[in-house]
Amino acid sequence: MISLQHISKTYETPAGSFNALRNIDLEITAGEFVAIVGKSGSGKSTLLNMIGGIDRPSSGSLRIGGANIQSLTHNELAAWRGRSIGFVFQFFQLLPTLTVAENVMLPMDFAGVLPGNARRRHAEQLLERVSVADQADKLPSALSGGQQQRVAIARALANDPPVILADEPTGNLDSEKSAEIFRLFGELAADGKTLLVVTHDAEAATLVSRTITIVDGCVA
Amino acid sequence: MIAPRWRKVLRDIAGTPLRTALAVVAMAAGAFGVSMILTSYSILTRELKTMYTDTRPASAILVLDGLVTDSLVDTARRVAGVNDAEARPVIYARLRVGQDQWLPLMLFVVRDFRNVRMDRVTGATPIADDEILIEQSSLGITHANIGDRVIVRMVDHGERPIRIAGTVHAAGLAPGWMEHAATGFVTWSSVLRAADVESQQLRILVSGDRLDERHIREVARRVELAINRNVTRIGIPTPGRHPHAAQMDTFLFLLGAFGALTFALSAVLVANMIHALLVEQLRQAAVMKTLGASTRQIASLYLGQVSILAVAALALGIPIGISAGRAYARFCASMLNATITNAMPPLWIIASEVAAGIIVPLLVALGPVWRVSRISIHEAFSNDAGRRPFGTRAFDRWLARITWLPRPMMLSLRTTFHRRGRLILTVATLAAGGAAFIAALNVSAAWTRTLDADARARRFDVQAGLSRAYPIADVAQALAKVPDVAHAEYWAEAGAMLGDYRVSLIGPDANSKLLDLPLLEGRWLKPDDDGVCVINQSIASRGDLVLRINGRTVRWRIVGIVKELAPGRAVYAPRRSILAASGQSGDLTRGVRIVTRRHDIPAQIAASKAIERALDRAGISVGGIHALSDSRKSFADHLVIIKSALIFAALLVVFVGGLGLTTTLSLNVIERTREIGILSAIGATPLTIARGVVIEGIVMAVLSWCVAVIAAIPITFALDAVTGQMFIRSALDFFMSPAAVAGWLLLAVILAALSSFYPVRRAARLAIKEALAYE
Repeated sequence: MISLQHISKTYETPAGSFNALRNIDLEITAGEFVAIVGKSGSGKSTLLNMIGGIDRPSSGSLRIGGANIQSLTHNELAAWRGRSIGFVFQFFQLLPTLTVAENVMLPMDFAGVLPGNARRRHAEQLLERVSVADQADKLPSALSGGQQQRVAIARALANDPPVILADEPTGNLDSEKSAEIFRLFGELAADGKTLLVVTHDAEAATLVSRTITIVDGCVA
Repeated sequence: MIAPRWRKVLRDIAGTPLRTALAVVAMAAGAFGVSMILTSYSILTRELKTMYTDTRPASAILVLDGLVTDSLVDTARRVAGVNDAEARPVIYARLRVGQDQWLPLMLFVVRDFRNVRMDRVTGATPIADDEILIEQSSLGITHANIGDRVIVRMVDHGERPIRIAGTVHAAGLAPGWMEHAATGFVTWSSVLRAADVESQQLRILVSGDRLDERHIREVARRVELAINRNVTRIGIPTPGRHPHAAQMDTFLFLLGAFGALTFALSAVLVANMIHALLVEQLRQAAVMKTLGASTRQIASLYLGQVSILAVAALALGIPIGISAGRAYARFCASMLNATITNAMPPLWIIASEVAAGIIVPLLVALGPVWRVSRISIHEAFSNDAGRRPFGTRAFDRWLARITWLPRPMMLSLRTTFHRRGRLILTVATLAAGGAAFIAALNVSAAWTRTLDADARARRFDVQAGLSRAYPIADVAQALAKVPDVAHAEYWAEAGAMLGDYRVSLIGPDANSKLLDLPLLEGRWLKPDDDGVCVINQSIASRGDLVLRINGRTVRWRIVGIVKELAPGRAVYAPRRSILAASGQSGDLTRGVRIVTRRHDIPAQIAASKAIERALDRAGISVGGIHALSDSRKSFADHLVIIKSALIFAALLVVFVGGLGLTTTLSLNVIERTREIGILSAIGATPLTIARGVVIEGIVMAVLSWCVAVIAAIPITFALDAVTGQMFIRSALDFFMSPAAVAGWLLLAVILAALSSFYPVRRAARLAIKEALAYE
């Protein structure tokens, strides 16, 4: 499903060049629920960004679901991301001026996957699945952190992508809410989604099928 | 159903009403400025162009030795190339406006008011033979009303009471109030007529190309031959040009130039506004990208947002701009003795205003929108998205070495220079406004200085013209009885032809100190000069000047060129040279230049009256007398319209620029609500924060002022050169008005301080949590 070979990433900074990832080889098969752990600055998020096509590797080869995403143009990459990857962020990143349902409909809108009139229903189903259907017409600011993260997950599922990437999705939530979110991820994995979750949460390790530890840009 | 992304656009607009209002007002100010100038410019160019041609201006004026009879006019009409001919004798008289005060009055004798064939007037009513119709722009200076009887003094023919029956509008004439001379119209059988002192004029209108001066001259010569009379002069007004065309051109040029500057200003303003709006959308754009939005989709979202704001701005700015432009066009028309028959701007002007109002914002939005839609998600999610960290530029490091300032001020300075995009746009907006403002006032000051310099160059106080030549001894004797007169000089004066053009010959006394005109080239006349002359800038000849004077040809070497405000062609030569060339006697004079004991305006006017009285008593007929202050006033009145354009431009720029600055700085502060929250969190008081932001505003204002002053220099140079060439055929002397430079600094600093203070106070009062959560 996801295949990384000799992936490296170097950033040029005013303080000199910085190797965020060094020669990473990684294979993840479909339906796996993977936790990526490591210290702050170890390169976890960079790795996730490479896989999600948010950032490009400096060297190495990267294939996701058979696609060589390095060869995609800026716009092809966006379209690919819209259909293939669902993102969940630590700070939820819901658009503040759109309602919960509209936030979920937005990826469908960009990808044009469903007819316009079917999108609302699909969004409601997704919100139902993450148990926030009753909040559909509220603005994100009216929701608690846990609810906002559920909406973000519903949004990540909008175009039914095979891969879900989550960058410290529970970093801003209390332990009870965190556990709920991880249970939800577990259900998604059971449904056949491939999940990669960057986390500091020790409890999460008990739910995942595999844990990858990153130390100084290398897989430990 | 509207797609969610478009709903986002609408809610972003509606959800931040203050920001939206600021952006719309700033863009509307730009639209207002541009449409006001475009509207007045288009109305005026159209109306002024047709106004003159609609009067059917005569192609040529033949001045005859004897009466212009009907049969002579018929003969002229039959000449090949003549479309029409008309007799239009002119009476030069004076109209009494006060005790010993007379206004020059030029009366046109009309053959038949019901059938005016050329140089038409409108609004004429039938009048009796002891009545006159006054040109509407002259009525004010006659100090009389319609229906009043006024005293008209004729050359050598005593005085006559005459009734002002009404006014007419002669669009082809220069406004009387500007010329300081009245014009009027009388009937063919008017009691004022006296053949021997009238200028007997035959006017012709050519067929074929009426704008071809050579063709007109040929036809006029044919008429001269056909009528077989002594033609003393053939005058050919520049074809198709109103007598004040140069003034109108200068005025319209300035209007156009400042229209362009206002356009540039509003474009920068709009760019600034859009930049401010989009910078904070970086993160949201990145989120949308992770959700699969393509560059095109994001770009279309933001371009859509800009379009909506632009349309709102247009709806506000253009209607107000058009009505203001129409009002201004009417005002300018009244200054030029024109009436606006149709005060609607052409449809295509409105269409292009609307198009520009949408296209310009979209064009200037392309850069920021491109940046927002192309920014990498990674970059957008990192802190200080899209900004190079402070300290990566040499200038930052230099700034960081300034450590002797109080820390809050240091922070303000560094923040100002760190947000470079914002700094550049804000400074550019302000500088564009400042440069236009300073340039407008500079050019206005340059005109005033030109006027003053010209007045200073003429060191006499009163100039009197006599109706015919009188012995100098008699005039001197009469003047000796006037205690106000300190000194009088009797210069030689004559008319001459230079090729096809009429020039004035002026011969000051050999040792005269009454004239000190600024030299453009060469030197002034010397007491022992002979066979040489000095010309003014209106004459293009160089080397030798060949003139025809009373049928004789003389050749004088040009030794200098002087600059004068009056656009007439003048040749200065030694008095004896002019006397010899024109065959005049040195004992007679037709004019006198007088230095009075006191030189202030009331003294000059009092002296003029006393001189008029004294000459009158001595039986010397005065053709015209005027104080130098009056000539200066007349020149100044010719500049009113030009200065009005400049001051109008300056005010417009202050309005647009001021509004732009206010909105920009307010937006900048709103944008920084989060940063202000952090400062509050670490213990800054609202006052400290406000002071910091106000300092930033002032730093930007001062920076923009420096740029504005530098940018104003070439603009001023160009405007001085072009308007000077258009109006007085010589570039104005460059002058940087200290008042303008200081005024803009003051204005910019005050506006900057005020427009940052209020929003920052609001932001500083927000609860810290609220401010930190601010998106």
